[in-house]
Amino acid sequence: MKIMTCPLNGPRPVSEFHYWGEVRPMPNPATASDDAWADYVFNRNGAPGLKKEWWCHTPSNTWFIAERDTEKDVVLKTYFYEGDQ
Amino acid sequence: MPANALAVSPVADIATLPDPSAQKAAVAKLGIADQSLTPRHGCKGPGAAAWLESLGLPIPPQPNSWLPVDGGGLIARLGFTEFLVEGPATLIARLANTPRSAGVYPVLRQDVALLLGGAKLDELLRQTCNVNFRPLDLATRPVVLTSMVGVGVTVIPELRNGQPAVRIWGDGSYGHYLWETLLDIAVELGGGAVAPHSFN
Amino acid sequence: MPWRLLRFALNKKHPEPRMFTFHEKLKASYDVVIIGGGGHGLSAAYYLAREHGITNVCVLEKGYIGGGNTGRNTTIIRSNYLTPEGVQFYDESVRLWQDLSEDFDLNLFYANRGHFTLAHTDSALRTMRWRAEVNKHYGVASEVVGPEVVKEAAPMIDITCAGHSPILGALYHAPGSVARHDAVAWGYGRGADQRGVEIHQQTEVLGIDVEGGKVKGVRTSKGYISTGKVLCAVAGSTPRILKMVDVKSPIYIHPLQAMVSEPVKPWLDPILVSGSLHVYISQSARGELVMGASLDPYELHGTRSTLDFVEGLTSHMLEMFPFLSNVKVMRQWAGMADMTPDFAPVMGKTPVDGFYLDSGWGTWGFKATPVCGKTMAHTIATDTAHPLITGFSLDRFRNYALTGEKGAASVGH
Repeated sequence: MKIMTCPLNGPRPVSEFHYWGEVRPMPNPATASDDAWADYVFNRNGAPGLKKEWWCHTPSNTWFIAERDTEKDVVLKTYFYEGDQ
Repeated sequence: MPANALAVSPVADIATLPDPSAQKAAVAKLGIADQSLTPRHGCKGPGAAAWLESLGLPIPPQPNSWLPVDGGGLIARLGFTEFLVEGPATLIARLANTPRSAGVYPVLRQDVALLLGGAKLDELLRQTCNVNFRPLDLATRPVVLTSMVGVGVTVIPELRNGQPAVRIWGDGSYGHYLWETLLDIAVELGGGAVAPHSFN
Repeated sequence: MPWRLLRFALNKKHPEPRMFTFHEKLKASYDVVIIGGGGHGLSAAYYLAREHGITNVCVLEKGYIGGGNTGRNTTIIRSNYLTPEGVQFYDESVRLWQDLSEDFDLNLFYANRGHFTLAHTDSALRTMRWRAEVNKHYGVASEVVGPEVVKEAAPMIDITCAGHSPILGALYHAPGSVARHDAVAWGYGRGADQRGVEIHQQTEVLGIDVEGGKVKGVRTSKGYISTGKVLCAVAGSTPRILKMVDVKSPIYIHPLQAMVSEPVKPWLDPILVSGSLHVYISQSARGELVMGASLDPYELHGTRSTLDFVEGLTSHMLEMFPFLSNVKVMRQWAGMADMTPDFAPVMGKTPVDGFYLDSGWGTWGFKATPVCGKTMAHTIATDTAHPLITGFSLDRFRNYALTGEKGAASVGH
């Protein structure tokens, strides 16, 4: 069983969590070109690597960030979102 | 009764009780009781803690912990800014009828609320839930938010008459499934359905 | 082993012919380099040689032939899709499948079984009526049938699904079939090999050289190849290859798991799919039940198996077929699915001249193997997208012109 550690609720099986994809900065929709907006809406960093991702502990609806190696499926750390950096 | 309380338990039609002697035998092994009709109030938001405090309620300082309320009942802190209050109808009615401050949002509570306890409780928990309750220090009054047989639940572990017990809250729409599944396991372990006062 | 048979086996006068020629070394250059020795890549090589006379071609495979998603799918072939683009494309594929065994002189065990997509809700039934009408318009046999037809075709089914989600009807697709998936790769591989295509297994692509927006060559673990045309047909490894040519795409990778039971007597003729219960099931010629479910819930570039998958799939399977509770699960496995936002593939030309894509095959690629090879061969040979694949181009995303196949692609999305 894969264990994910919620920063609030502690280590739990991954079945208690929901994955919401990589953290990606959103361009300003009012000023972005159509191409830049399409790039944001559709394109993904699909290659494997170390990624910062949104995850949610669903029983408590706690959203947080997990840094995960998407090739080895190793979670390096989890923490609360601290705003856009 | 507060206007927002349930008139009928989500498991009213299936949570039938056997005769008192059978209940007494069941509660020693593993009793399961329906407490869904207990009045309760939910609220969340950045202003929730201050608002509840202004109404005279104690605020659990740690997320995922609870405190008893004077005059009966409890207040559980679910995460950082969400609260679940259970208690006498007058208290719950007062919370429901007092205008909320800014940053306080109501949370509709239509829970199926269960009380399980007995010598075989840990065996049931190990079959249904991924959290190990045994190492938890009951003196710190922990609240556990987890998933039980696939249903998101809030759990408070405690001792009743020296026996381990848990209070469980889950979405009422899963009431039948949760009750039937847990009752099946309780019966396998020699227990069964009981009235809530059997634990006293 | 009988002595005579052993003597025959050891006699060098009667060597068992190999499926493919083994090539010691790569040549310095090829007209076309195909990355990926799965069904799609080998099929493209086959049609390049057979229909376009282009035989100076090599297929590079990191592992072994058919060892990726070609050998990991649940072998279902159907064409009852939702969009006109999809229906016409997959229909052509089904037509090609029907003649393929003869074409290869190799038994693919292509078995026409009939395919039911079960509806448990009114909205699912509405989508099925829509699919049936689109299908019929393009001459594909599809019809909406009632629960009694499902019960007749699969008498062991609990039509109420344990009372939780009664079957209200189904989309019945008579041409639905299964085939032996490894044999497809071998058949295409052998056919390509016989026509002069080189297949290099255990050969990994390390980089692709692009100059002035044009493909110049491919760096591999066995040396450098210069070429002007590269086809990328690598399913779950597509984003890695795209990174080498600096092309962005919406493709993301989630594992898809499947499993088979121990062999049992034949009891299930048709292929059954339930979107609501997230299951599909068919019985193989060997008697195993071949079962699959929805995608794994998060991105992962690996093929590990999980117990969560088996528990989830079997619990739903038992709602449909309670009598299976004593049947054992024999094997489980996973493949890496290259998913797209609209559940349609990404095929054709790319912003890099001479770099062609056959990708975005997610959970629906096996059935398209023949038509992908055929259309990609045409696209490479003529440097113009085949008319059947223009709806699947990479630039549809930039143009906000998606090809929405979500309602028909697979289960549980």
